[in-house]
Amino acid sequence: MIDLKVNAVQKSFGGLHVLKGVTFQVQGAELIGLIGPNGAGKTTLTNVLDGAIKPSSGTVYLNNARIDHLPPYQVAQAGLGRTFQVTRAFRRMTVLENLYVPALAMSAGKSQKDFQAQAMEILEFLTIDHLRNEYGRALSGGQQKLLELGRLLMLDPDIIILDEPFAGVHPKLMEIIYRYIHRVNDAGKAIILISHQMESIFTLCRRLLVLNYGDLIADGDPETVKNDPAVIEAYLGEEDDRSGIGSAQLGAPGNA
Amino acid sequence: MRRQIPAIAGSLALGFLAAFPLVYGAADYDYIMHLWITAFFYAILASSWALLAGYAGQFSFGHMAFMALGAYTTGLFNNYFYLTSAATGTCFEIPFGSWYFVVLDPIGISATPFSCLDAAREAWAGNVVVKKPSLWFGILFGILVGGLFGWLIGRLVLRLRAAYLALFTLGFSEILRSVLSAELNITRGQAGLELDPLFPNGITIFGAVFDATDKLPTYYVMFALFLACIAIMLALERSRFGLFVRSLREDEDAAAALGVHTVRYKVLVFVVTSMIAAAAGAVQAHYIGIITPNILIILQMALVVAMAVVGGLESIIAAAVGAMVLYFLLEFLRNSFTIGDVTVDMTTWRLVFFGALVMLTLRFQRNGLLYPLIESCTRSGVAEETVAKRVAGASASEDAEAAK
Amino acid sequence: MEFPLIFWSVVLWMIAWGVIGGVVTPRVFLRKDMDISNAPLAGAFVGAASGPLGLIPLWHFAPQTTNRWVLLSAVGTVLILVTAFAVADPDNVCVTNGDLVASQITNGLVMGTIYGLMAMGLTLIFSILRVVNFAHGEFYMIGGMMVYYVSAVWLPGTPPVVAVLAACAITFVIGGLFERIFLTPMYDGRVERPIEYAVLVTFGLAFFLQYFVQALAGASPVKARRFFDFPIIRLPSAEDPWLIKTSKANLTLFDTVSISNPRFTAAVIAILVLLVLLFFLYRTWYGKALRAVSQDRQAAAVTGIDPHRMNMLAFALGGMLAGLSGAVLVQAFSWVPQVGMLPALRSFVIVVLGGLGSLPGAFVGGLIVGLVEAAGTGCIPDPQRAASYIPAYGMIILTLTLLLKPTGLFGRKE
Repeated sequence: MIDLKVNAVQKSFGGLHVLKGVTFQVQGAELIGLIGPNGAGKTTLTNVLDGAIKPSSGTVYLNNARIDHLPPYQVAQAGLGRTFQVTRAFRRMTVLENLYVPALAMSAGKSQKDFQAQAMEILEFLTIDHLRNEYGRALSGGQQKLLELGRLLMLDPDIIILDEPFAGVHPKLMEIIYRYIHRVNDAGKAIILISHQMESIFTLCRRLLVLNYGDLIADGDPETVKNDPAVIEAYLGEEDDRSGIGSAQLGAPGNA
Repeated sequence: MRRQIPAIAGSLALGFLAAFPLVYGAADYDYIMHLWITAFFYAILASSWALLAGYAGQFSFGHMAFMALGAYTTGLFNNYFYLTSAATGTCFEIPFGSWYFVVLDPIGISATPFSCLDAAREAWAGNVVVKKPSLWFGILFGILVGGLFGWLIGRLVLRLRAAYLALFTLGFSEILRSVLSAELNITRGQAGLELDPLFPNGITIFGAVFDATDKLPTYYVMFALFLACIAIMLALERSRFGLFVRSLREDEDAAAALGVHTVRYKVLVFVVTSMIAAAAGAVQAHYIGIITPNILIILQMALVVAMAVVGGLESIIAAAVGAMVLYFLLEFLRNSFTIGDVTVDMTTWRLVFFGALVMLTLRFQRNGLLYPLIESCTRSGVAEETVAKRVAGASASEDAEAAK
Repeated sequence: MEFPLIFWSVVLWMIAWGVIGGVVTPRVFLRKDMDISNAPLAGAFVGAASGPLGLIPLWHFAPQTTNRWVLLSAVGTVLILVTAFAVADPDNVCVTNGDLVASQITNGLVMGTIYGLMAMGLTLIFSILRVVNFAHGEFYMIGGMMVYYVSAVWLPGTPPVVAVLAACAITFVIGGLFERIFLTPMYDGRVERPIEYAVLVTFGLAFFLQYFVQALAGASPVKARRFFDFPIIRLPSAEDPWLIKTSKANLTLFDTVSISNPRFTAAVIAILVLLVLLFFLYRTWYGKALRAVSQDRQAAAVTGIDPHRMNMLAFALGGMLAGLSGAVLVQAFSWVPQVGMLPALRSFVIVVLGGLGSLPGAFVGGLIVGLVEAAGTGCIPDPQRAASYIPAYGMIILTLTLLLKPTGLFGRKE
């Protein structure tokens, strides 16, 4: 049973409090949406969970093992994978080699050949199998995004954090990413989905977490969250709303 | 098959090199052999630098420092350590079974150094056996010292990127050069530290007798070292090591997020390439017979960089071949000539030509001049495959692209 | 040295506590939820200066007044080192001869000004293009060569000003041309890894320029005449000129401090150029545009500044500052095509110490490096060894900076 416990995580950068004691728990194959206005601390939270930055205080446990003081590669090996907001394919490595990196990192004593079949299956699923020997840089932006998702499948973590997977993506690719999310979820993995695309969040997720200036202001099923006064306040209170979520959209239930 | 061309060409070249000293018989035999030995030396350095800079993205300008560490370690070992069957009483010595392991005092820079061992020898009047430990131990030590410093530098530069790394390693190289020239009581500074030839007493191979100055045994030693280094590096390149160092070159954070122990592999690539450079330096030092701090002037580093860049930074083989080609070019361009009454001093102009070649290669052919040739063979068919599959089963992601 | 054991054990003691301080302090600060960018520096200096006596209070009182602690312990570190040296080597000229010390300090500052000028060129280029110019020393060399050739070979009798201007012109043009031809692919994503590309291509340029000049001018040393002779001044009186005494080639202040004419001239020119540079950067449109681009490229582009032209201007200007440093120093040192190597390394040290991209940092860094080199060359007992170690002093500073405070004294965070 997958069990991620985030307990009172704080992070400050020299006096600026980006996370002010975030606590939540993920149990089993949940599909969770993490939303919040710009600057709410979503990416910082991802970086803390992933080990890229250390929390100022608080703890993170994954499957009863403490991971908040581990370097990123150990967090990855412990079973937490993430994508980046900006795609980060290995540009001068072939598509297949991109996939072999996490596979080999997770298993000592195996070689690339052992993973060829698995990699090809994943590439076919993501419909980029014809590009297997092309370099990462030869791929379009959307294809690189798919490649990054493919790498996560090879890593096969218990929890996947997807940072803005739908940003600037063509509808056809969106479909593939939807299928991907369902596939991962059906395989018993948990997913934390960070997105500004409310439509996708409400379609996919059964539980929402709302961050606002470092505080977790809501945690619950989408309908409850949508009507939560604090959430409405957070979104209405933001003057320059570039988040793509209209306040009216939130304020009027059923609109999403 | 086009894909097999590099492998076939490579085997032919290796066969040629293996047979060359046996079949070549012109009057300039010694000179040509010298060129080949030095070409192997540079090929090892350029290809190991390509592994460090091209594969792992660690643009270090301190590679020659590791070469020099290898050379000076074996040089000092060769000059300072002796085994005697009786205590000298004057030198620093450690009993070692029935032998004494003797370390000389600093030899200074006088032309005829007189050491504590020389004093003891006079007293013994020839009754005591004095031996030098095999110089192969010195070479081995040189490789280990190179690896040790590689580890240290690798640890120190972990957080430094790009230009900072280049500056720091250049600085390391300069400090080492300062120390080697300043501590001349020990290293003899610019006067040069002399080393025994690789086979001080000659060697007999299959009944043929070679004396210490014959080039053929050294040729095969250097050739074997070259083959071993290339083999080790190619094996590493094809293993997880190669995959991981390339991934951390491309994006360190992303590699770490995918479970790659980036710190370990970054340090490891420094250790491996430093040991290889040190090995080349140690063997070459014994071949040349004398080393000075000038072996790590910037010109040397620049030559190695030039060779790797022109061959192709992202390929060990291309860098090695580039080094050989450029080294021979350097040698053959050495002859100055006169047009009318103007003498063109080629010893300098060839270096100007080199600098221009490096800049133009970087500017217009970033992957080097050789690597694209190799790659066009090994990757032949990739584009066709992509297109063919796209036509056969137009995929959703392609549709999306087409729709854009 | 009379008691080397004393000196080296003090040094070892300081290194040991410096390392402990440098390693432990960031962890303590981290636990206290503090900004740790200065922690290694603070820990290392406090540790070196006072050992556990200072470190434990530093850790205990952590969030308060750490900046003053660092400054005090930096001074303390230097004082302890100097004291240890004086105790260990009581007969050293630097200990016994106050005049020499004063002279060394003055000369260190004089040279430091010129080092600072050259380093400013490097840091200017970096602040605009994010490129470290590995051919900086070659611009320096060409500046000097140009002055020599104009004033001694091609047009003997040319006033030095013209020769210096010619040196500025040629280095400016070379810089601009190089930027246009070789660095433009960096800006539009045609190069996969622009920073590494720039490192390699400027390294190639260094190699090319060095041997190009050697091919044309030969490898034997040349030396330009000094630009002008001092007028003979004796103050307050000709019999007892304790205030100022000059000869054609030398200037003596207070009977103690002696500065040679070429160095004096070079430093004066350097200071003038510095003022002109400051005027240019803060009062003219181009200067303001340069600073704007260095602070925020995109914002500058939006306001109508063409960043590409600024790139070219910055590289040309940076090269020119190096050329100018060479042009004013060619009268002080003999000149060979390889002469740029040491000043280039020194400039790297200075800009890293001052903070890559910071102009005041380059100036202060120049003075510090000038002083350290003067102390190193003046006080190390064996002069030949001292000379051999000149590159090493700078590199020790470089290593310490990169380990303790990679952003340098005035650097901003990347």
